[in-house]
Amino acid sequence: MKSDTGVKLLIAAAALLASALSTSAVSLLPSNGLAAPENFATIEDTEARSAALFGELAKVLTHPRCVNCHPAGDRPRQGDMMRLHQPPVERGADGHGLAAMRCSSCHRETNFDPARVPGDPNWHLAPREMAWENRTASEICAQIKDPARNGGRSLEEIATHIGSDHLVGWAWQPGAGRQSAPGTQAAAGALVDAWVKSGAACPK
Amino acid sequence: MTTFSITINGRAYGPAEISDDLSMNDFLREHLGLTGTKFGCGAGQCLSCAVIVDDADGASYTSPTCIAAAASFNGKAIRTVEGHAKDGQLSVLQKAFIVHFAFQCGYCTAGFLNEAQVLLERLAKKPIPRAELEKTVAEALDGHLCRCTGYIKYHEAVLDVILADPKRYLA
Ligand code: FES
Ligand code: FES
Repeated sequence: MKSDTGVKLLIAAAALLASALSTSAVSLLPSNGLAAPENFATIEDTEARSAALFGELAKVLTHPRCVNCHPAGDRPRQGDMMRLHQPPVERGADGHGLAAMRCSSCHRETNFDPARVPGDPNWHLAPREMAWENRTASEICAQIKDPARNGGRSLEEIATHIGSDHLVGWAWQPGAGRQSAPGTQAAAGALVDAWVKSGAACPK
Repeated sequence: MTTFSITINGRAYGPAEISDDLSMNDFLREHLGLTGTKFGCGAGQCLSCAVIVDDADGASYTSPTCIAAAASFNGKAIRTVEGHAKDGQLSVLQKAFIVHFAFQCGYCTAGFLNEAQVLLERLAKKPIPRAELEKTVAEALDGHLCRCTGYIKYHEAVLDVILADPKRYLA
């Protein structure tokens, strides 16, 4: 009986220790799932800091909320498992669907949660040259800097696009049954901004 | 809740207060009793629930109603299967669907009819070369599922309507 109590005490102490450890581990993580630019200030080498900033941003860019509409093929993907879109829609000439099956037929101005259909007034696919599916952070970084593959945008325009475009912002308001992209749109925008200002270096 | 007005087959409804959770399909079928618009998959896959939306700029297109909020149709003008026949006379397309035995159970018919009607109006505005006709019809009707007749009869019916009036539809 005595030794039984001792074992129980030992288990309780171990559990307390584990919970204290995990609490301190969690507190080291950014509270919103995406580290702020300040978290990288300790990296003295500017290029390494810039690349690290992009690495953090890549958590957003490679998230299903972004990749599903930056697909490698002509069909978008959907859901957190990134399965091919059903019904089998295609990008069409302008990225807004085929003539008889426009994105806006189903994707209206706002999310419609009862049917789990996401919405935005400008719902469409990213152009084919902006495909991110199956690409590494390093590959996406090179791509996003290349005006031929980023919609002809300057780096400052990229920062605005990610930080304040309404459709991009949907990734953080995805409606019922879908994970949000990490952090917030403002946090992602701050990362791009800091990445651009630090020389827009790419991770290796 | 949203204050909602809509024009259906030329008739104005509203303004009325509707729930943001109400689907357009439920609004048509359950609130207005317009049951010609069907509810099949409920997931945007079969298009049996598609209606015609007429934009103010003259563009018309079909839209599924099962996965769209009724509120998202606020201020729009739409047409449903109930609006095709005029003065007790079936439309040319409806007659062609019957002549070709295009449907059996009829569950998909309202969607096919609306889609084919949009196609006819598009071709009347912008005729196409004869050589592109089959492909154009196939692309237009693509996405509408029919479990009974194998599609070909719908395609033949639409082709017949167009070929019967080549000056209107073909370049
Ligand atoms: S019932 Fe709407 S698409 Fe099937
Ligand atoms: S006629 Fe039955 S589903 Fe088309």
